[in-house]
Amino acid sequence: MRVLLLLRKDLRILRRSPALAAVLVAYPLVIAGLVGLVAGYASSKPRVALVDEDHLPARVVVGGQSFDVNRTIARVSRNVRFVRLSPGEAARELRTGKVVATVTVPPGFVADLQAMVRSPRLILETTHGGITPRVTQQVQALVYSLNRELQSVYIAANLRYVELILHGGPGSFLGRKFQVLGLDRTDRLLRGLPPGKRVSRIRDFVGDARLALAQTGAALRATANPIELVRAPDRGRTWALSAEVQAYALALTISFLTLVLAAGSLAAERDENVVARLARGLVGLGELVSAKVALAAAVALVVGLAIALAFGVIIQVSGVTGGEPWVRLPLLGVGLVLAGASLGALGALLGAVAREARTASLVALLVVLPVVFLGLVPREIVPAAGVVSDALPFAHAVRFFSSSLYDARPWAPVAREAAWLAGLGVAFGVAARLGARRLLV
Amino acid sequence: MILRARGVSRRYGRDVALAPTDVVVEAGEVVALVGPNGAGKSTLLALLAGALEPSEGAVERADGTRIGWAPQRPAFYGRLTPRENLELFARLEGEADPVAAATRLLRVFELPDTGRVSGSLSVGNRQRLNLALALLGSPRVLLLDEPTASLDPGQRQRLWERVEAVREAGGAVVFATQNLEEVAGHADRVVKLEDGRLVFDGEPAGAVLA
Repeated sequence: MRVLLLLRKDLRILRRSPALAAVLVAYPLVIAGLVGLVAGYASSKPRVALVDEDHLPARVVVGGQSFDVNRTIARVSRNVRFVRLSPGEAARELRTGKVVATVTVPPGFVADLQAMVRSPRLILETTHGGITPRVTQQVQALVYSLNRELQSVYIAANLRYVELILHGGPGSFLGRKFQVLGLDRTDRLLRGLPPGKRVSRIRDFVGDARLALAQTGAALRATANPIELVRAPDRGRTWALSAEVQAYALALTISFLTLVLAAGSLAAERDENVVARLARGLVGLGELVSAKVALAAAVALVVGLAIALAFGVIIQVSGVTGGEPWVRLPLLGVGLVLAGASLGALGALLGAVAREARTASLVALLVVLPVVFLGLVPREIVPAAGVVSDALPFAHAVRFFSSSLYDARPWAPVAREAAWLAGLGVAFGVAARLGARRLLV
Repeated sequence: MILRARGVSRRYGRDVALAPTDVVVEAGEVVALVGPNGAGKSTLLALLAGALEPSEGAVERADGTRIGWAPQRPAFYGRLTPRENLELFARLEGEADPVAAATRLLRVFELPDTGRVSGSLSVGNRQRLNLALALLGSPRVLLLDEPTASLDPGQRQRLWERVEAVREAGGAVVFATQNLEEVAGHADRVVKLEDGRLVFDGEPAGAVLA
């Protein structure tokens, strides 16, 4: 009851602090906007220069099949946007960052492609920035798609030769025309010959060959793609980058807000000389700390849900694959409350140690950065950072949010992270209660 | 005995704010706490109020005795209005009707009830709010730290009337002051502190106040 009275008082004070209220409203909007930009960037197509040194014709005939070059490039380049540039322009734009890579079609490319004797080559040049691995991946994906298209053409061409051997007729190879008897007609001719042991053996061979060659099409296609990756239609993690970005954005925002708020508001009780009035039997120091933890949890819930809503709207409007998992918002709400409370307890501890509101807010800001950075370091790379990060709420909050929003079966990870957050919250809360005695000095 | 400090002391590291001190406050008396700045008056009042934990000793109070405390530096929330402060602390003090208690004290202390937050009040009004908060919960003992500072003559008069009312109701008042007229006019007993030590405890006539 007394905790609720203090919480109501804190929320009223928060509402009357225009600068702080503005920050609380603006902060999630800015974060959501930035996250939206990052998400938009993640789904955008990087600009890649196409340098045509082979003077690609409008149509190329490969294996007897005609390809519209521009249409084929457009079809396979789902993840990049090609712009045709001269070698000089491409080099300049790559230097200035206007394009993130250049793909050069060297002289002789089409000839190699049509001869089907050796693999034609494309030359990829990228910038040396953080985006390089992504662009390389996307160009590799493009070449993979192009190869698959060509593969089916090559297989069709080979199959035509097989058909020729099977059924006979006119054929051509490297421009030379010829007539093929074919196994069918060979079989008919053999039937017209007088029976004998040798003729019978030849007819058996022709029969086996026809049977075997009839399976060639399926076998060629199977050997062309020994393993095919088929993506199962599942409600699991839809878009890894947006999931991680949203989870980090939420955790980052509430870490900043709750740490600073809890630390500042607990220390402000001393600044206003009220803590002494409260502590003489009206409110226990434990209740005072609990009120700050509750305040942090309430603010985390409201601000976190506001960010999730704003982010979700951006996701929906942008048409990002998978969309926003709206049904998971209640589970996210539980995580926000737990994370807010845990971070609030840490903030209360900082407030108790710092004792003055301004100092406490500054200390909270100084503390939150390493807390966040530790949570960003992959534990596989720096195990020590993972161990330290486990003792702080940020990384657990990220994992809770990420699982609750995007894991197909979130219950086990969510339960584990909830236990971590609750445990850390209790530990920091007890420490804050012990430290709060300093407020009475 | 309505309130007693038994060997209470308060240290901040090596600094001694108050050496072990014994003070007894009886029902129906008004005690003036005097001494130069830094003598330990505010520390003793905070210890008696329970706002500070003693480094040694203990504070005892008669069963069921409620204590009202007005510290030297006003203690309330600057971003709440006087009414909101009074209602909040009335609820925490367990007043049966917090709204009525707040309304009564706003009237008695002539505090503005306009929606202005307490942090924007004049120095005099802040002190009045500080005193009004001390009266919540119908305390039997009032501990007032330089209560008349910043009060106009009319408000001072009304404050001493409240002090007399507490005494006549069988309660007690301990007030810290630098004003000798207030000691002579209202105190039954004087406790004098110097450098954190009790140097006199007796009738005002016997005290060397200067």
